[in-house]
Amino acid sequence: MTTLAQPSQPVQTRASRQRELWRRFRKTWPGYLFISPAGLLITVFSYIAIIFSLYISFHQYDIISEARPFEGLENYTRALSDKLVRISFRNTFIYVVVIVPSITIISLLLAVLGNQVRRGRALFRTVFFIPTITPIVVTSMLWVWLYEPTGGINRLLEMINIEGPNWLFNPATALPAIMIMTIWGAVGYYMIIFLAGLAEIPEVFYEAAKVDGAGRWHTFWSITIPLLRNSLIFAFVTLTIAAFQVFTQVFIMTQGGPMNSTQTVQMVVYHYAFQRFEMGYASAISWLLFGVIFFFSALQLKLFISRELY
Amino acid sequence: MARTLSDPGGGAREQNRLLLIATKRSFTIIVYALLIALAFSMIFPYLWMLANSFKSRTDFFTNPYSVIPMPPTLSTYYDALTIGRMGVYLGNSILYAAAVLIVQLLIDSLAAYSFARVDFPGRETLFLAVLATLMLPGSVTLIPTFLIAHGLGLTNTFTGVVLPGFAGAFGIFLLRQFFLNIPRELEDAARIDGSGFFGTYWRIMLPLAKPAMVTLGVFIFLNEWSSFVWPLIILSDWKKYPVTVGIALFRDVNQINWPAVFAGSTIVSFPIVILFVLAQEYIIGGISLSGLKG
Repeated sequence: MTTLAQPSQPVQTRASRQRELWRRFRKTWPGYLFISPAGLLITVFSYIAIIFSLYISFHQYDIISEARPFEGLENYTRALSDKLVRISFRNTFIYVVVIVPSITIISLLLAVLGNQVRRGRALFRTVFFIPTITPIVVTSMLWVWLYEPTGGINRLLEMINIEGPNWLFNPATALPAIMIMTIWGAVGYYMIIFLAGLAEIPEVFYEAAKVDGAGRWHTFWSITIPLLRNSLIFAFVTLTIAAFQVFTQVFIMTQGGPMNSTQTVQMVVYHYAFQRFEMGYASAISWLLFGVIFFFSALQLKLFISRELY
Repeated sequence: MARTLSDPGGGAREQNRLLLIATKRSFTIIVYALLIALAFSMIFPYLWMLANSFKSRTDFFTNPYSVIPMPPTLSTYYDALTIGRMGVYLGNSILYAAAVLIVQLLIDSLAAYSFARVDFPGRETLFLAVLATLMLPGSVTLIPTFLIAHGLGLTNTFTGVVLPGFAGAFGIFLLRQFFLNIPRELEDAARIDGSGFFGTYWRIMLPLAKPAMVTLGVFIFLNEWSSFVWPLIILSDWKKYPVTVGIALFRDVNQINWPAVFAGSTIVSFPIVILFVLAQEYIIGGISLSGLKG
């Protein structure tokens, strides 16, 4: 009996489920209409775009010529042996490794310090935040002037008897110069993230620490840092993803020079795609970058999450 | 004095208390000193920018580092707006930012309302598909987006600049969160009065979502105002350039007219500073939210 009854059961529910679905559709079809403008744009500029990008990365593709032969992995192998690509990945790695911890630590310091004072807190917050909302093109231009051989930075260094270099024209200092400017421009944003995280920590923890006689330093390490975990992960991961794609500052300040010392991956992608119109090759490089970003984001998340278990 | 003599323990306590106050006070002073030094390092490029933007060319070349222009002049602003074409760029930027702001707010809020409140089949899957695009690095989509725009004949057009910005996954996510927190009773009342989905969205939900819309609107505006790479790629005619690309052009010229650059930078930064002063709480709130959710 049971063997006979069993098959008829799912058939019945499938039919009724289909009827239920149809009833739901008839009632809610305007929902599709409402999401359709956003859906269309996201489909075209994200989904079709990414498939298209993958497709052309296996082809020789430029806008001008009609012949677009399939090349297999040719673009990828070419990228791996391209000296410019290798230099750009090295520079980008250095940039990421310096900038991500620096911005995290300095903005955390700003947030903690800003939280210590009562008077002028809003003013400090505003001042630290202004570089963040200024268009990066503008801040880059300002720093080009500051970095001139007899510019603002070297004037300030002169006051403490240091002879500054020709920042943007010296291969040894050009990348550090861009990094300093970027750190300066980004710390205000992450300070806000950390201030919000700090505000979420219940006051009770600090009172308990005080009762136990914990000093400032100890309190910071054993209460503030662990309880800021979510904000710290957010800052670290988003910063890493953004830093790997650095472009505008470099484009304005050095154009990748001097002697390719500030060439970053995104600069090279731009160079091949929009100056030499090798769209397929440039896409392959951008996929390599995507792979690297994906690897490091996954690694970071895995590290942070396994920490949680202890 | 008498108390300390009669009660040495109290004296020690008093001394301890004073020491504690002293360390606390010196700590506060150190914190303030640090904060002021850091604040100065944040603000000094802007002070120079502002000062230099009011200097005449000769004044700039003789005293580029003085903070007070002697005598202050508006001619650099005139230069930037006319010879530097900042007037044209500024008009374009306002146009682009306004178009993206209005259209994206409409498209995002309509989609967000639908995802939050209309229980259509496949809703969860489609919403996940929208969210997933947040993970895509802009680096990968830049080239195909250009090729698609090129295929649609949108290179060097107004539409080409703004179209990809007309929908945003982040905005849909943010507004959906907000709509989910609005009590359902309000809509039910409207439903009983015979409102359809669109009527409920337009008359009930949109007015209620004002704070979230302002937050998102500020972000959209800031984003579009600072946008550089996309207009740089899609446009070829200077008459259509936004201010960001316009300012970057100053860098191309061998002999940079620095006072005009500073005047131009001041003009570009001005609307943003005003916006920040007006909408500070919304901006800070929006950033805080994204950090806490992540």
